[in-house]
Amino acid sequence: MPTLKKVAAILNPPAPHMVGDGFRVHNFFPSGYKIKMDPFYLLDYNAKIEFSPTNKLRGVGVHPHRGFETVTIAYHGAVAHHDSAGNSGVIYPGDVQWMTAASGILHKEYHEESYSKKGGPFQMVQLWVNLPARFKMSTPKYQALANENMAKYELPNGDGLVEVITGEYNGTKGSASTFTPIEMYNVRLNAGAKASLASPANYNTALIVIEGAITVNETEQATTNQMVHFAHEGSVIEIEAKENSVVLFLAGEPINEPIAQYGPFLMNKPEELQQAIEDYNTGKFGYLEE
Amino acid sequence: MLEKFQSYLKERLAITDEQAKEATSCLKSKTFKKGTVLLSPGDLRSDSYFINEGLLRYFSIDEKGKEHIIQFAPENWMVSDRNSSVFNEPSIFFIDAIENTEVLIVPSNFFADIQKLLPHILELNILMLHNSIRFMQKRINMLLSATAEERYLDFIKLYPNLTLRVPQWMIASYLGITPESLSRVRKDLAKKHFK
Repeated sequence: MPTLKKVAAILNPPAPHMVGDGFRVHNFFPSGYKIKMDPFYLLDYNAKIEFSPTNKLRGVGVHPHRGFETVTIAYHGAVAHHDSAGNSGVIYPGDVQWMTAASGILHKEYHEESYSKKGGPFQMVQLWVNLPARFKMSTPKYQALANENMAKYELPNGDGLVEVITGEYNGTKGSASTFTPIEMYNVRLNAGAKASLASPANYNTALIVIEGAITVNETEQATTNQMVHFAHEGSVIEIEAKENSVVLFLAGEPINEPIAQYGPFLMNKPEELQQAIEDYNTGKFGYLEE
Repeated sequence: MLEKFQSYLKERLAITDEQAKEATSCLKSKTFKKGTVLLSPGDLRSDSYFINEGLLRYFSIDEKGKEHIIQFAPENWMVSDRNSSVFNEPSIFFIDAIENTEVLIVPSNFFADIQKLLPHILELNILMLHNSIRFMQKRINMLLSATAEERYLDFIKLYPNLTLRVPQWMIASYLGITPESLSRVRKDLAKKHFK
């Protein structure tokens, strides 16, 4: 009989800061809270805010990444993306973009033009998913997961829907390929509905209440914009929606390798960071027009 | 707060930890929010700034409103306006904070005042001045004679991580080229080196 996964902490969103002029993010980790979330290195949460209409392009200009993957999950608003490998696309609510920077890529992210002109609510999660040393210098790739093609598990009795971004939920497999074992779902529950989530005890596990309010393991309460971080005890999480709710579930097997980070580079050793800076400066990441 | 400056002195002078501590005990730090202007034309400023954390920029603005960056000062650099600090004439330059920055305020008499504690400090000060003259000579030569690519390659050797910290137009301003030619240089390098 699997045991309930122990809640380690219910975390409020840390004070927000701007990333470029398009993203107002609460950084839950690594700087907001010192919690173990390996293979997830960073989580920036843009809680729902209203952007006023504008003709100006809000966002982040061309910047490099090496040594990890960026995963962008959209809930409100729309983001346009371009990278130096020639990929481009727009992430709309419900979509996920999984970009493997690996050996190095340049990209830029802006509010999509027609959303910008209209303005309105904006809510996103961006994760940095670390890569094991042996994959850090692999070829960059790009997985665009449109909501309409996403694997979905329908909960019984019209209770809601589990959108499986990666991993497997009750036999439904997510299409995003990963380098280490990861479970990542958007759980959309109607008021009063229950769902069970699971991850092995050694996985670093958390969930964020994107919308609504939930009870976790029958006793703990979490509300919109809070993160629930779990201890390495037990494997099953029971959630119950107190109102219509959306929950992002994250669990991953830790990579447990040394980390060296500078700005947009995530490597194992300081000398690899110096190499990354030199490679970026001398054009080895390619070129992308501002 | 004083550790970086103490290490800076210890790397350049044969002194003990205690001497470094004593010599710097009178120094105060100050933090500036990104965007703060620390010096404007017309100001008289006798202090120098040693950067603990963050990034300052020393620049002028011409009649057309165009900025010309003379120097970036990241961690472990010093910046001062010699016209006002040494010659007591109003500055013609600006200093502002490109990032949230913590500096140590180094008064103009600092090196003279700690002579008793650190007998070789004046020699170090002279060496630092020569070094900065050498730096300026190289920089003038670059601005007069080097191609845009040569200027950029020299810049990334001097300031390897600034390409990740400051916008392209500021780098172009420092190099005395247009942002378009900096883009072209970076594009050409990518063509040569991207596999």
